[in-house]
Amino acid sequence: MNIAQQIYRIFAGRILASIGFAVLIIVVLAAVFAPLLAPFDPLDIDPISRLQEPSLEHLFGTDQFGRDTYSRAIYGARMAVIIGAGSVAFALLTGGLIGMLSAYFSRLGSFLMRGVDVMMAFPALLLALVLMTLLERSVVNTIIVIGIVYAATTARILFGMTLKLKGGVFIDAAICSGAGHASILFRHILPNLLSPLLVQATFIFAFAQLQAAALDFLGLGLPPEVPSWGNMLAESRIYITRASWLLIFPGMLIIFSVFSMNLVGDALRDTMDPRFKDDIAGV
Amino acid sequence: MLAYTLRRLIAFVPTLLAASALVFLFIHLIPGDPASILLGDTATPEEIAALNQQLGFNEPIYVQYFLWLGNVLQGDFGTSVFFRQPVLSVIADGAETSIWLATMTMCWIVVIGIPIGILSATRQGTWIDQVTSGFAMLFASIPTFWLGLYLILIFAVGLGWFPTSGFPSLSDDGGLWNLRYLLLPSLTLAAPNAALIVRLVRASMLDVQREDHVRTARAKGLSPSRVAIRHVFRNALIAVAAAFGFTFAALVSEAVVTETVFSLPGIGRLVVQSILRRDYPVIQGVILIIVVLYMVINLLVDLSYARLDPRVSLK
Repeated sequence: MNIAQQIYRIFAGRILASIGFAVLIIVVLAAVFAPLLAPFDPLDIDPISRLQEPSLEHLFGTDQFGRDTYSRAIYGARMAVIIGAGSVAFALLTGGLIGMLSAYFSRLGSFLMRGVDVMMAFPALLLALVLMTLLERSVVNTIIVIGIVYAATTARILFGMTLKLKGGVFIDAAICSGAGHASILFRHILPNLLSPLLVQATFIFAFAQLQAAALDFLGLGLPPEVPSWGNMLAESRIYITRASWLLIFPGMLIIFSVFSMNLVGDALRDTMDPRFKDDIAGV
Repeated sequence: MLAYTLRRLIAFVPTLLAASALVFLFIHLIPGDPASILLGDTATPEEIAALNQQLGFNEPIYVQYFLWLGNVLQGDFGTSVFFRQPVLSVIADGAETSIWLATMTMCWIVVIGIPIGILSATRQGTWIDQVTSGFAMLFASIPTFWLGLYLILIFAVGLGWFPTSGFPSLSDDGGLWNLRYLLLPSLTLAAPNAALIVRLVRASMLDVQREDHVRTARAKGLSPSRVAIRHVFRNALIAVAAAFGFTFAALVSEAVVTETVFSLPGIGRLVVQSILRRDYPVIQGVILIIVVLYMVINLLVDLSYARLDPRVSLK
């Protein structure tokens, strides 16, 4: 089956999930082509046209520095995709590896999974907050901090799933035919875990958006000059009674993208391998 | 059951110690010298040295840890460098707000989340189910602070029904009436969590619905509502109770944001402000208390889960 057929199989008959998928494609396109789509420089300050209502020139109005909110929102999509994809990559690579290795090498696992237990003893945003105080506000650090939080969850999920697969007859067959540890892990176990990993990735992506926005809002996320949706809300917070558009547009964009990702994740989970369905909680 | 309890307790202590060491270490990895931050830019080196001596910052790190742990076990969490008061009393000052906020939020979660979850599960596949499930997912996708700001804008600024921020103590003028300050914050905090409970109740009821004893109950002619409540919901509640630890973690995380939005004098805002002020002892104290509380809750949830469902302890 090629990719288009698989996508069709997942989304056929699921209207909401299909809309969600379309929204995500639009967000990604906006992120990629931000310089072409944004009519203004997102950082350009124009004191004369500050706090202007939405108009044909400024579709989403302007903020307290006279910056074009629409252009900032377009560039915000770029930050959303970078933070989301970065957190997913970090969480899946570190957490996934820890989980798989822990389940496969049980002695190593009894040690590593205790470490995961300790990480899981911290409520998510609190862990992110404390880690963020150690690091400077930057894009990479925000990704690392959010990634660490979800690496622990991912490790625990993959630990359980790898344990289930490890006892399978096809693993015995692989061992008999002389396969090494690396080959068993990455050529026999990992391919079975790809679809649950994809589902987990969608949920991490959605959570990461909310976490990043919360960190931005608390002043502990991305540097304040970076045009992210969270920062836009944080900065214009005191102007909301005078300029409600500063609250509506970035907020709606966060909600739309997180909601869409959750819808897609749900649809993916429904079509996933039933053996692992209970392992991934999602929203 | 006894063996299971012992096994859980034995696993609990090392994790607790490791977590406390991590709490201790985090704070000491923060860039910047606490004494010089505390005294400001005009401090002389002598003043900084004297303060380091006074607060024990000159000792080796492991000595500091054991000193700290020993003190903590005696209830001494140090002195807030900002408030110049014992950390425990600073935290206690915020506790009233946070406990009331959490209580009201839990009420909303139970009152809103559980009935809608039952409704959604018993009407599985109908438009009612689709609408409630859709809204549950939507509310789980809204950033807490955005919802809070919007509620302030509409109900506090626009309609003037509720105060915009703050929370006077219940022992101040107004008494219980002061809880109105927490109405918008508790709804804000409840929204995403109630949404999760709706989805959880629905999912676990659908699971139980497929079991044999439910078919038996239906076959012997019980009314659908009786089957739904007595036979399905009661069993599904076990899974919901098991998620209580998770709900607690979510509440704590989102309370940090909610208390900041509504300027509530609670523990959540204390964490954020202490981080911005680099008030190390307070950050340490709050995080430690929350982590220990969270671990104890999870332990209790697991033990009661095993008691409610004996299959768990046999695994």
